[in-house]
Amino acid sequence: MRKRGNRMRLLLAVMMTAFVFTVCSGSFPAAGSAAGLSGESPSNAPEARSGGEATPSTSDDSVRSAVNFDHALDAYAPLKDRYNFYFTYKAVHSWWDAVALGMEEAQRQYLEKGITVTYEYMAPNAASAEDQARRLRTAANGDYDVIGVDVADEAVISPVLDELVDSGIKVMTFSSSDAAEGCKRLAYVGNTHNYQDGADLTEALCQKLDYRGKVAILLGNVGAPCHEDRASGAKDTIAKYPDMQIVATEYDMDSVDMAYDLTLKILEDCPDLDGIVCCNMSNPVGAARAITEKGSGAVIVGMDHDEDALRYLNEGVIYCLGVQDCYSIGFDTIQVAVKLADGNLPGELFPEKTDQITTVIYQKDAALMLELLYGEM
Amino acid sequence: MARKKNPNRTFVLTAVIGSLLIMAMVTANSVWASKQTGVATDEAVSAVSSFYLEAMAERRAKTISNLINNSFDLMGKAVAYIDDEGVDSQEALRGAIGKVESLLGLNRFALVDEDNIVYTHYTTYTGGSRHAFLSEAEITDRTISTVSLYGSSKLLCLTSPTPGLSILNKPFKACFVQLDIKDIVDLLALDDQGRTHFALYSKKGGNLSGTELGPVISNHNLFEAIRPFVPQEVLREKRESFESEKEGSLSFASDGMEETLVHVPIQGTDWEMAVLIREGVIRDQIRDISEKTLANSRNQIIFTTVSVLALAVVLLIQYHKLSRDKLKAEKETSRAFKTMANTDSLTGIRNKHAYAENEALINQQIQSGAIEKLAVVIGDINGLKYVNDTQGHAAGDQLIKDASEMLCKAFSHGAVFRIGGDEFVILLQGEGFDTMDEVIGALNRRVEANIKADKVVVSIGYAVLTPQDRRLGDVFERADNMMYERKKALKQMGAKTREN
Repeated sequence: MRKRGNRMRLLLAVMMTAFVFTVCSGSFPAAGSAAGLSGESPSNAPEARSGGEATPSTSDDSVRSAVNFDHALDAYAPLKDRYNFYFTYKAVHSWWDAVALGMEEAQRQYLEKGITVTYEYMAPNAASAEDQARRLRTAANGDYDVIGVDVADEAVISPVLDELVDSGIKVMTFSSSDAAEGCKRLAYVGNTHNYQDGADLTEALCQKLDYRGKVAILLGNVGAPCHEDRASGAKDTIAKYPDMQIVATEYDMDSVDMAYDLTLKILEDCPDLDGIVCCNMSNPVGAARAITEKGSGAVIVGMDHDEDALRYLNEGVIYCLGVQDCYSIGFDTIQVAVKLADGNLPGELFPEKTDQITTVIYQKDAALMLELLYGEM
Repeated sequence: MARKKNPNRTFVLTAVIGSLLIMAMVTANSVWASKQTGVATDEAVSAVSSFYLEAMAERRAKTISNLINNSFDLMGKAVAYIDDEGVDSQEALRGAIGKVESLLGLNRFALVDEDNIVYTHYTTYTGGSRHAFLSEAEITDRTISTVSLYGSSKLLCLTSPTPGLSILNKPFKACFVQLDIKDIVDLLALDDQGRTHFALYSKKGGNLSGTELGPVISNHNLFEAIRPFVPQEVLREKRESFESEKEGSLSFASDGMEETLVHVPIQGTDWEMAVLIREGVIRDQIRDISEKTLANSRNQIIFTTVSVLALAVVLLIQYHKLSRDKLKAEKETSRAFKTMANTDSLTGIRNKHAYAENEALINQQIQSGAIEKLAVVIGDINGLKYVNDTQGHAAGDQLIKDASEMLCKAFSHGAVFRIGGDEFVILLQGEGFDTMDEVIGALNRRVEANIKADKVVVSIGYAVLTPQDRRLGDVFERADNMMYERKKALKQMGAKTREN
């Protein structure tokens, strides 16, 4: 009996040690919102975007926490019982539909508290900074507590945002593209590490290619900060390796079909293409379709959670994907908008930039991610 | 030599074997009945399962179909209401949508304008990428589609065209509602008492409802889950059945437990409703009934067995009693016959037959040396023939009776036998032997007196067993000789003879 008791104590001690070690090492997933509020990049997994190196394996826990669907409003007590917002984003695309679902959940939770949040969530069918500017100016004449924007082109939109702020309108940015440095917008909720995302995906690609080969870079919209930043990260990473070469840089305007056509053209021009860095959601789908069709061995790294992209990842056509937590972006955008509407400014209640994580996943993680995001049909 | 049968033993054996056979038959019958009950239960389970499940599945499918049809009807009413409201602002439109949601119980009701802008109670959004049905330039018919949202929640989207609808000077092309499958599951669960499992499946076997179809299939893909338990051919048939929206059933065993599922297509959707029941659930219910029946049968068997045993015991006791009475009666009859055979009918004393039995017994005792004191006395009536001839047989008989009475009185400690017409033998042992001389002396004196009184005269001769004697006849012979000598002596004293 004593031996058994000693064994139990030993087991307990080992378990406690493991627990303390695990907590201290930050292996437990932290809530995206909490990470955002701290103003620091979340560090809930090695693959989560916080400057860490991408590795070809990702734990199930990390995959499961890549998108946090389990949100609750924080303790902030809104001052009004009705809020009306206007949000606009780059283009009609399923990526922003995922953000919308997070917004709707926050709206639902506010409603449960007796606070009605209404909003418009609008975008053109194709990304256009001019269209976005027009929408923003129109919204400025509407009765909105806060105007939010996913910046289509920071050079074009940032001045418009400054105009709006100067006219007394509360403006925030959200999603994956912030305004230019120095813009007067009040706050940002979304991806703050696009450059690093591009760099890390490209680093994974370079490692896969043994640091030699020809690479193409696909982007979405010209001037879209998130796309451009990722492309910058990719270019700087490739520049580190003398045997790596960028053979093409193309924009698909957030269109899968255009990404497909562009990839076909790149393959035609460069049949011995070794890799493609995809900086938006439509890039990897179109690229994978073309690669498959042409039987090319080019390695694809890319962004986001498109269902087709995840299937290509599952089949090994795509090497890795950086999955952003769109749901949390949407949820936190509404929370920050409510606080801004009440006259709060970034500080203790919320940071100027509420960061959301990006998790790099590989082939073995694809099935789980598909199940988590899309279930089985 | 033929072996003599013992009727008692035969009867007992028959009774015991018969009882055992009856009990064996009753037991075998009960075992058979139990097995039959088991088989019948299995068949009933199977039959009831399929029947029950089919009805259950159809009812649930019907519930969903009704929900869909109702929703379409309500959507029509909602559009008519909003059209009549004459809304003049986006806020008024949201208010009208909220009102119809509340009034008609329509969840997630939305209107779509010609630019694919979606209007709901709380939001207005560009929905081109979010709603697949908006990929069509024109919506002309009602559509029902399953939508899997980011985050894996699933909705049933019902879309209806709204021709002619114009709000805020913009043409509206459609309205839709999104029924959360979880809400549908909750609605269906109201119908259930936890006895069955149900789930909604896509044509590819994907679980749409998130409900567990029993512990084996759980919420996994149906075809993947049943793959280990059914032949490939059955699996293929099921896939085809789902693809072609047919109804069907399937039974498979897992961990020794039979699972039965029935699936029916849900009209208008690309869903299959599957209902599963574990054999155990119905079996438990039927088993309760069966166990009660079996318990009754068992009690009946026990009662019958005890009754048979009790009856057998009673029969055995009665037979034993009857046998004993019969044996007793036979013994008494035998004794009566024996007495009758050994008794002289005239005098009532033992006769020559009795003497012969005694003689055989005594001869055995003499030969085994078991007897030491024995005397044989022979008495012969004098003048019996004369009396018979002169006074008749009645007088002769009386004379014999008188002689017998006299001898019996004289040899009260001896055994008196009449072995001939006028001849008696008395066997003396014990006290009779010890007092023999006095008794014979007194008797002879009385006989001599009787000569003068013309009463019965008996000539007495006697002899005692000697070591040389091998049988009673040896003693008898000496006594007989002595009796003749005495007869002569009494004749001289005046006793009657044959002649006078």
